[in-house]
Amino acid sequence: MRCVERPDDFETRRAHLRNLSDEDLHARFWRLVDEIVAPLIEEARSHTTPSIERSVLLRMGFSSLEARELVAQMQARGLLGRGAGHLVLALAMSQGMTVREAGRALLEGRDWEELPR
Amino acid sequence: MKLAPDQKLDLREVLKDLDQYRPQRRGWAWREPRTAHALGPFVYQDASADLEHSVPLPAAREFGDIDPQCDLVITTEIASGRFEDDLRRMRMAAWHGADHIMVIRTTGQSHFDGLIEGTPEGVGGIPVTRKQIRATRKALDAIEAEVGRPINFHSYVSGLAGPEMAVLFAEEGVNGAHQDPQYNVLYRDINMHRSFVDAAEAKRILADAGILQLDGAHNANATAKEAWKVTPELFVQHAINTGYSRAAGMPPELIALSTVPPTAPPAPKLRLDLPYALALRELFDGYRFRAQQNTRYMESDTEEATVTHVLDTLISRLTPTHIQSTITPDEGRNIPWHYNNVAGVNAARQTLMGVDGLMQMIELKTDGPLRAQARELKERAVLFLEEILANGGYYAAVEAGQFVDQGYFPERKGDGIMRDPQGGDGAGSVIPREPGYGAPVCSHFGNNRYAERPGKPCADYGGCTLCDATKIQYIDELDAEDNVEQRLVQPLAERAEGLLRPEVEKHGDGVVCVTLFVPASQSVARAAALEMARHMGLNEPQVINQRLMHPAEGSVFEIKGRLDIAIRTDALAVPEPPAVLPDAEIEAWVRGRDIHLVAATVGEDEHSVGLHEILDIKHGGIERYGFHCHDLGTSVPVERLLEVAEQTGARAILISTIVTHADVHKQHMRRLHALAQERGLRRRLVLIAGGTQITDKLARECGMDAGFGRGTTGRDVASFLVRRLRDAPA
Repeated sequence: MRCVERPDDFETRRAHLRNLSDEDLHARFWRLVDEIVAPLIEEARSHTTPSIERSVLLRMGFSSLEARELVAQMQARGLLGRGAGHLVLALAMSQGMTVREAGRALLEGRDWEELPR
Repeated sequence: MKLAPDQKLDLREVLKDLDQYRPQRRGWAWREPRTAHALGPFVYQDASADLEHSVPLPAAREFGDIDPQCDLVITTEIASGRFEDDLRRMRMAAWHGADHIMVIRTTGQSHFDGLIEGTPEGVGGIPVTRKQIRATRKALDAIEAEVGRPINFHSYVSGLAGPEMAVLFAEEGVNGAHQDPQYNVLYRDINMHRSFVDAAEAKRILADAGILQLDGAHNANATAKEAWKVTPELFVQHAINTGYSRAAGMPPELIALSTVPPTAPPAPKLRLDLPYALALRELFDGYRFRAQQNTRYMESDTEEATVTHVLDTLISRLTPTHIQSTITPDEGRNIPWHYNNVAGVNAARQTLMGVDGLMQMIELKTDGPLRAQARELKERAVLFLEEILANGGYYAAVEAGQFVDQGYFPERKGDGIMRDPQGGDGAGSVIPREPGYGAPVCSHFGNNRYAERPGKPCADYGGCTLCDATKIQYIDELDAEDNVEQRLVQPLAERAEGLLRPEVEKHGDGVVCVTLFVPASQSVARAAALEMARHMGLNEPQVINQRLMHPAEGSVFEIKGRLDIAIRTDALAVPEPPAVLPDAEIEAWVRGRDIHLVAATVGEDEHSVGLHEILDIKHGGIERYGFHCHDLGTSVPVERLLEVAEQTGARAILISTIVTHADVHKQHMRRLHALAQERGLRRRLVLIAGGTQITDKLARECGMDAGFGRGTTGRDVASFLVRRLRDAPA
């Protein structure tokens, strides 16, 4: 699909802006920006991605290789929407393990059934 | 690790105990401003704190070797593919005034869904890994201690692994980063939902770590055929990233706009670029501006590129700017060579010191074409934003091809970049957070059960890596072949053996560049130039620049080729630099002895500066030690010098000879020697020649007692005279 072509009709389109002060024009510019950004940031607030979840596990003291494997397995099991770090921490706390021990157990295929529902 | 100016960077030392290394400093560092800063004969208004070690601009030799520093941070971009070679380049650039080192990532890293580890070699950049970052930060920590100024280390948080990169950068003391989800969407075809969701997390991490963020709007200049026509859209791209960054929790002082003056001469550059620069600064008041030099219209001519870059840098002084990013003048013809990073940095600092204090003397007009054009650009940008909303928001606007259209908005050429919101790399990987979603770590953005309670989100397990760096998991190497240890085997062995090869990019690459003019029509001249380079022993010669001087009279060529030989340093005859005597020793011997000298610039030669430098007391010349100098001026015949020497009983004659046409300098020296012998004066007189093309060896061959070239000081000459006269038979 090809997008639209249009001549430069700036002079007619600008009619509603022509009489704005610079200050009002700037305010209008930033109001429009906020309006465009609002739905984007809302999606970020309420969604996650494999990279975000791996970055959480990195911060919890896992290596990039461990984080990649844990997140891939959680994604395959449809668990990522609960938060990879939350699942590992909850397992550690329920089983009396350190966070790294909990992550290793999962990597070794153990304790997946112990993850919180 | 501590560096000594006369020692090469020890790569073994850099790589030692890296698993234990922690960065010495975190967050972005600006320069310390200095106004009314007195240095040598000048007072600077737009300066910053001096360096402890540096290489001054060439003309500084006339001003007591001062090296004033401008108030803007100066960026250089480095991208050889081997970080171990980049480190040496960073050190050279830092000595020339760079304090923002931007490390380009290897081709394709944007599409790598995760982190890379180890030290594999890259193409057009390095794979950014923890080990490479840590080694680079360690070297930069030592380099900043050597030059005496913080050096900002910078790379990229784009692509599919943005949040992980941001964590890595925060943990390892990276100071600046590019982060702009629009770059992923428009230029890397990474899914837009993925890009924006990842970006909020990455931005939050960068913000908490004090890392300065640069956006990616400048890429639209580089993509558009007529770069000045995308300017209304550039405001919009800057604004979307800025607004999104603010919403993700980034403070304005960490948000830098990456802006490029869009045109190059023969376009009327300032008339087009200055209104744009001004409008941008007004709309984005309160943010930081990283002005990058233009790349869009650069090809192979490095001098043309440099002139454009000087004009770009002038615009940076006419409008508020915080960072001056440099582009190497050879970027249009090859992956930049290390000495061209230095050339780019020097073009910026030379310009900025040259226009020091400019805005104390002039101001931009508040009416006329500057204001009218700035206003028009802003209105066009507002119309662009209105159309995004009319199209149904950002994603729908990208889908409709609203971005990077070649038309001057609202004009449309119908050739914008179109992306499917459900397509691209990483499509379908955005997952809704369930109720009760949690991320028990600091610097996390969005809904999170651990952020809803008091205290740190990572308190349950004793702290995350951002609070306790000992928890960071360091991976050394994953590939037994493709790693820095393997790459260093040959270079370090050659270095130990004392072998030297020329290089432009990587250790011992052997690449050299020769410039030659060939007096024939362009196509004949080109073939001839390549053949001449082969005769010089260059392998695989290639023309990297050619410039027509005249269709029939000839063209000039720059040819690169490889010199496949190594020189043994132990077999070189390296002349020992003559040791200078202490000032006090010189003066103690000279004063009271009533020693007369005769000096002049000989032949038809009006150059007087060099000789004044050597003689005059106010330039630190030899008069200050108590020599009586008879300066006969310029264009003086050799006979006249001998006459005055005889009359005054002089012990030495100093001639300056700058003009070298038809070897006239050699003739003057030989004639002075011969005439002195003829008149029976040679035994009594010490004969010295100086000039830009004079060497000690050449002067002795022509009958002189000594020759002094470029960079000579009065003390060098006085030391020689005292030694010679002291040892002479009475």
